[in-house]
Amino acid sequence: MPAHEQSNPWAPLTPSQLEQRKIVSVNPETVSHTAATDIPGHWGPAQDDSWNLSRFRDSLKVDFHHNKPHDAAFSLVGVDASIANAFRRILLAEIPTLAIEDVFVFDNTSIIQDEVLAHRLGLIPLTGGQEGLKWLKWFRKPPPKDDFAAQAAWEAEEGEDSAASVPSDYNTIVLTLNVTCRWATKAEDGRDGKALAKDGESDPNVRYVNSNVYAKDLVFEPQGQQEKYFNEEEGNQIRPVNPDILIAKLRPGQRIHVRCHCIKGIGADHAKFSPVATASYRLLPQINITQPILGADAKKFARCFPKGVIGLEPSPDNDSDELQAVVKDPMKDTVSRECLRHAEFKDKVKLGRVRDHFIFSVESTGQFGSSELMLDSVRLLRAKAERFNRHLTELEEGR
Amino acid sequence: MIIPIRCFSCGKASAYTSALTLRLSNYCAQVIADLYEKYVELIGTPIDEDGNTMPDGEAMDQLGLNRYCCRRMMLTHVDLIEKLLRYNPAERDIVKTSGGNR
Repeated sequence: MPAHEQSNPWAPLTPSQLEQRKIVSVNPETVSHTAATDIPGHWGPAQDDSWNLSRFRDSLKVDFHHNKPHDAAFSLVGVDASIANAFRRILLAEIPTLAIEDVFVFDNTSIIQDEVLAHRLGLIPLTGGQEGLKWLKWFRKPPPKDDFAAQAAWEAEEGEDSAASVPSDYNTIVLTLNVTCRWATKAEDGRDGKALAKDGESDPNVRYVNSNVYAKDLVFEPQGQQEKYFNEEEGNQIRPVNPDILIAKLRPGQRIHVRCHCIKGIGADHAKFSPVATASYRLLPQINITQPILGADAKKFARCFPKGVIGLEPSPDNDSDELQAVVKDPMKDTVSRECLRHAEFKDKVKLGRVRDHFIFSVESTGQFGSSELMLDSVRLLRAKAERFNRHLTELEEGR
Repeated sequence: MIIPIRCFSCGKASAYTSALTLRLSNYCAQVIADLYEKYVELIGTPIDEDGNTMPDGEAMDQLGLNRYCCRRMMLTHVDLIEKLLRYNPAERDIVKTSGGNR
């Protein structure tokens, strides 16, 4: 009995219903159908929503839009928001990178205070040989000497002389910065800064030498085995990604002489360790034109969206030469909902977002390539899941 | 006081590669501190005979500052360090000692 089957509340979902549940509706004032419903049992026993590897493999899709070392954009289709968000959060906070952590100040007579200078140095993104960066071990920083409670806890946990908290070649990179500013002299620079200043020259780069301290002035000092992993001749030395970062400005007689210890850390500890500038995703916009929009209306409709989203084409089932609005590239839409503000379009269009289509944008700070970072985040999530699984097994076995 | 190393919000640290990529307005930017000098140069150099300079919006586009968080770092920065550098005790010492020799 077909009629009976249609009214059966436990019937499996029809293809159109399956399509519908993938869409988050965007209404004039609200957003509806935000929760995913592909949970086993949600649509009754006949609808099979149980997780299945082959089905997951078929529906999973990764499609790169552009992939530059510092900037990648790709679509990740067929995963739940929780998984996509896990990738994003791991990218931001859990992939280890190298950054300056300890700064030993020998001399700082510049007008940038020691602590501000140390903070600025810490934020400089560093890069170097990929193999060496992967080879670096963790450095466990001991608590401050005046924090006795933390000191006691540390000793109880670690023992006083843990190898991981002693700086050595496999966990610490040393960079030094030694810059002194002086007047330009005829003998050394071919111009007399003082004489030029008297004549009214105001450009500090002409009057002085080393008036600007840049990140390229940081000198890498390889220790022990680092010679092999961060070889300068092979271009693997530790160096700032952007050589022209302005660290400080000096005037004659001022000097900065510091030694920096760089360690491996994660973004959760400090944002300087985050390997990405931004890692974000948005859902693919969907524009569904339910009734044809023709002529002048179509032009007005196209203007409601960013350029390139809506195209005008001769309509197939209309003999007049009026143009019809068609959806060209929903990826470019910003979902501004402008079209829903106009009474003539209100009932002719339905806006939405595809629930399982994530358009990722990953912008690396330069230590690793953007696409490689994404793969790292997948590896890390996998390792975390395995660890969790192991703990569960131990719990079951009562260990 | 001095231009921050990175964008406060997104951590962009304004990386640029070469003059060629600059011309192609194809910066792969993540840091702020190395873009500021280029930004000041771009908006301070006349681009036509009338002495008009480049609008700051266009300059920021060229530098690859696409998001408004990074753009405000350039737009709202007051480079106070230039004023503070005028008071240099070290230089005063230099002048004093060299003055004594004279």
